[in-house]
This record gives sequence, C-alpha cells and structure tokens, in this order.
Amino acid sequence: MNRLSSFLQKQCRLFAHQAKILQHPISNHLKSQWVKAYIILPKSSFPSASIQKFNNCHIIQRCAHTQQEKQKRSTVYYVIAVLVFVTGLSYAAVPLYRLYCQATSYGGTISTGHDVSKILENPKEAKKDRLITVKFNADTASSLTWNFRPQQTELVVPVGETALAFYTAKNPTEHPIDGISTYNVIPFEAGLYFNKIQCFCFEEQRLNPHEQVDLPVFFYIDPEFVDDPKLENVDSIVLSYTFFEAKDTEKFQNLPIFQHNRG
Amino acid sequence: MNVMTSGSKQFKVTPPEKGSFPLDHEGECKLFMIKYMRCLMENDNQNSECRKFSKDYLECRMEKQLMSKEDLKKLGFADLIPEV
Repeated sequence: MNRLSSFLQKQCRLFAHQAKILQHPISNHLKSQWVKAYIILPKSSFPSASIQKFNNCHIIQRCAHTQQEKQKRSTVYYVIAVLVFVTGLSYAAVPLYRLYCQATSYGGTISTGHDVSKILENPKEAKKDRLITVKFNADTASSLTWNFRPQQTELVVPVGETALAFYTAKNPTEHPIDGISTYNVIPFEAGLYFNKIQCFCFEEQRLNPHEQVDLPVFFYIDPEFVDDPKLENVDSIVLSYTFFEAKDTEKFQNLPIFQHNRG
Repeated sequence: MNVMTSGSKQFKVTPPEKGSFPLDHEGECKLFMIKYMRCLMENDNQNSECRKFSKDYLECRMEKQLMSKEDLKKLGFADLIPEV
C-alpha cells in the first residue's frame, strides 16, 4: 500500500507541474481525508476566475486512500446489505408466517389439509369421556341488516363425532342483500382440531326480501384433541360466525384463502 | 377480510373441506331441521342422542341437490347406516 500511495503522490506532483494547481476551498476539505488531493484542471480550460468551473472538474488522481475511507466504504456496503436483507425478509414473511401459523395453530388458525378420513369410521369409538361443549355465537357487521342468530346455544359433542349445528338468518328489508361470513374458534389452540366438513361461510349468500334461511354447519372435533397437553382442561369451545355485507365479491375470489384447498 | 396486522393472536380462517352449503331458499329440508332441533331440546343439547336426525337432514339435502352426495360412512354415520 505504501508503494502505491507514494507512486500516486508522485503522479500528483507530476500533474501539478503540467497544470495549474488550484487551492480551492473544497480541496482543503478533501485534504483532511486524503493524503494528497488536487483539483486539477487542464491549463487550457482555466479561466481567470469562475467558481462554476470547479464543479465540472475532475479529480484526476485519488492520491491515496486512507484507512478511514476504506472503513467508511465497507460500512456503507454492510448497511446496504442489511437493508436488502431486511426488505427481502419482509416480503418473505407473508408465506412464512402463514406456514408457521398453520403448523402451530397460532392465533386460532385451523389447519388446512386435514382430510375427511380423520372422521371416525366407527363412531362408537368416540371417546365419551371427553365431551366438549360447543357454544355458538353469531354476529353481524353493523352495516348488515340481517337478523342472524344460532338456533342452539350449545351442543355437547364427544371428540371425534360429527355434529350438525344450525344458524338462521333473516332479511327483514325490502331488497335482496348479499352476505358473506367468516368464523372464529376460541380458544385459539382448539382451532387446530376444529374441522369443518361443510358450512355456509366464505361464499356469498343472497337473501331475498323477507326471506329466512337455515344455515347449517357440519363439523367434528379431531380425536387428537385429547392428546394435546395444552387442551387438557378445555371443555368448551366457542364457535363464532360473523356476517358481513358482500359488496364486490370479485375482489374476494383472488384472496389466497380461496385458492388453496377449495372445497 | 384478514389483514396481516402486527397483532399477537391473528386468526386465520380456512375454507371448509367440502365447501359451502348452498342455501336452502325453499326450506325443503326445514322439517328435518325442526325435528333435529326438537331432539336437541329434549336431550339437553347432547349431540350423541340426535345423530339420527342430523343424518336425516343431510340425506334430505343430498336428495334435494343441496349437498353433494357423499357416502354416509365418510360423514361419520357408519353406525346408523341400515344394514343392507
């Protein structure tokens, strides 16, 4: 490095003889970082006094880099790398988070891909000693004028047995209204074991004026519920449905929840 | 519907296995539904006692094209299928 810097210094002096050296204020600033730096202009283009010209000049020789300069540069590269990594991570977080939530049932996620074969072939095997009380709750968004309520307040179901539950919805208004619903299961950990075979959620449901319909939910609780230590003391779960007004359902068709595991 | 907010517990909904029940606008299976509800009321909301009625309701739906036909065994009614 020393040889290079001394070589460059020699080069600087060489150019200095060939051109007019200008001691511009900026070069003083540069000197604090650089060993030797000259703002050099070719003789021919040097007018008597013109500040603008200095902006067009070339720093012909970088006459030696200091250690500071090198460190600064590597710090800049490091920071840029960190930024890129963090940005990439934030984009990757969406599918990773989804996978994590399904695997661990974080936040009440009901796992996808549980298949119908988990239903007990022989219902008599249903463990009668583990009875779960499923409570039903119904909500509507404030903008939706349907009367939506469960037909039964609760249902006592052994683990592994299929069960049917009903909600009713009535449209008391004079015009047809489309609704779309979603659900939630509390406690969240039980959501992993709550398997819905068929329900009325996610698809737009149209109610004509003054029409009342029964909305069934056919579900069962996974037999592995009894093996989960976190759910040892859980005897009741709450299934809650909420209806929203469906305005522009084309938008919903593109949501990821519709695209995987549809029907 | 669901936004990836930075909440501690974020619920993630998934579609049901067989999709959604079409709405029973004409109330074709309402009778079976009422029978089922009555059974539940009489039996203190015990599902085990009233499974026969839920099977009847689902059979009605299948007949009336309100549900895709499915083997009752797969729906957990293996013990209620009459022996042929």
